[in-house]
Amino acid sequence: MSAVLGITNVTRRFAGLIAVNDVSFTLNQGEILGVIGPNGAGKTTLVSLISGTLAPTAGDIAFEGRPITKLPAYQRARLGIGRTFQIMRPFPGLSVLDNVAVGALFGHGGGESDLDKARELARAQLDFVGLAKFADQRADELGGPSRKRLELAKALAMQPKVLLCDEVMAGLNLVEIDEVIEVLKRVRERGISILVIEHVIKAIKSLSDRLLVLHHGEKIADGDPDTVLSDARVVEAYLGRRRA
Amino acid sequence: MKGLRWILLVAALVVLAAVPWFGSDVLVQFGINALLLAVLAQGWNIIGGYTGYASFGNSVFYGLGSYGVAIAMVQWELPFAIGMVFGVVLAVAFAFLLGLPVLRLRGHYFAIATLALAQVMIAIVSNLSIAGQNIGLVLPPLNDDRLFYELSLILLIAATATVFWLTRSRFGFGLIAIRENEEGAAVMGVNTTLYKVLAFALSGVFSALAGGIHAYWITFLDPASAFDISLNVKMIIMAVFGGPGTVLGPVLGAFVLSTVSELLSSEITSVAGLFFGLVVVVAVIFMPRGVADLMRRFRATGWRYFVKNLKAHRI
Ligand SMILES: Nc1ncnc2c1ncn2[C@@H]1O[C@H](COP(=O)(O)OP(=O)(O)OP(=O)(O)O)[C@@H](O)[C@H]1O
Ligand SMILES: [Mg+2]
Repeated sequence: MSAVLGITNVTRRFAGLIAVNDVSFTLNQGEILGVIGPNGAGKTTLVSLISGTLAPTAGDIAFEGRPITKLPAYQRARLGIGRTFQIMRPFPGLSVLDNVAVGALFGHGGGESDLDKARELARAQLDFVGLAKFADQRADELGGPSRKRLELAKALAMQPKVLLCDEVMAGLNLVEIDEVIEVLKRVRERGISILVIEHVIKAIKSLSDRLLVLHHGEKIADGDPDTVLSDARVVEAYLGRRRA
Repeated sequence: MKGLRWILLVAALVVLAAVPWFGSDVLVQFGINALLLAVLAQGWNIIGGYTGYASFGNSVFYGLGSYGVAIAMVQWELPFAIGMVFGVVLAVAFAFLLGLPVLRLRGHYFAIATLALAQVMIAIVSNLSIAGQNIGLVLPPLNDDRLFYELSLILLIAATATVFWLTRSRFGFGLIAIRENEEGAAVMGVNTTLYKVLAFALSGVFSALAGGIHAYWITFLDPASAFDISLNVKMIIMAVFGGPGTVLGPVLGAFVLSTVSELLSSEITSVAGLFFGLVVVVAVIFMPRGVADLMRRFRATGWRYFVKNLKAHRI
């Protein structure tokens, strides 16, 4: 298996705290890598470092073997890195369809330059995530669960090679979670490699090929999901969180 | 419905274009002013309405366009058209030089930074001998209001067509995405820095052309009137009144407010300013998305439209 993303000794400091501390790992072609960790572990920061909305304090990030640490976010998007936001970033005044069309107009490879074609591609993505009936609504009129799907559709419309999902299942009920899991599995079948952050352990277990655990910014485990979840340090990190 | 709209639009254009042939001198002069203000409001619409950056620097572009024409015609004795090109070059250079640092600022900070630009330009131009220092320049007079009117109308049509193109193009969608959420736009592949500077420049081109026409028409300009910040306030009010981020809103806003202000100032000069301000405040509270949005939604929601807006302000 070849590595699509290579993270090498990446550190990110904020004033007075280290959000991501000397983390290294790879995301392999066609893989679903689950990332878990207690609140404040540095998961979102990690995704921001990869997508380019934050710059690392130290370390290197490579995409398909090529260093991207210095590239601005939009260039990484054009190379094929798509992300969703935990704190959702829809374009509130645009229709749901046009939110997704932006992904098709830009995105991987620079996107589709024709608006009508981009909207067609967007409609297909809305169908795919089950939002087709909301296409003409304004994005800020969507309910919470639908907004999560919108985040996903926007990123998918970019035709990315790598998809970084930051808690796309948070706040969803069990049925909705299963639907999103199905969607992500089908995304992987298209050959897209996925990094998925999630708190719902059951969901992440059924989805991930491999699991990575962050705790206080450090990687404390990385490997087969069952092994990782029975690891003493991981259990402790989660129990510690529950007691707190 | 769509066909009817086009017919109405063409009819309106024909009537507008015919004004100098049936209207009085006063009407034509009012028309030139109103058309140029509409161009300014439409130009501001590109950076303020579509990209979401409330620029107070557009009067600088206007001033640069005015001086471009004046310097070319007076100092170098070149034709008007070349002066217009010179003004546009100045405006674009300015947009790239100052847009790059200033467009890194967001919201109020951007507005304040651009606010300072006009003052700086007045200081610079007042000390340039080629620009006539603080005395200004007198252009060769051309007594042809019909020509100035039609030129202004053509410019307004060009500006409006450009804005219409924005609503249909990848570039325009990039700008709207920046307005709606800049970080969200960047991770989707929008080169936000480049797009913002291009929007600023495009906005500046129309302001500069309007300034150029105005300078030749008025035949006189000095630094304080060329870089007048109240002109910038006017274009913002007109664009916001009509509907920022819409194709026809700013034009409508400019026409309506020009007419109101003209009627008031000829009838009751003293209260005119006060009333004008009042109209704008009430409009912003009751229809913050402008006349264009009001017309689109009023039929569906009726009077509740105003109540809803009022509530949104939490008054
Ligand atoms: N922009 C910022 N400035 C300062 N501190 C930040 C910033 N962003 C994140 N942090 C801090 O960095 C740490 C890691 O935050 P991060 O959001 O990456 O955690 P997370 O694992 O995504 O948490 P959660 O499960 O709550 O989403 C936290 O302590 C957070 O307060
Ligand atoms: Mg997070």
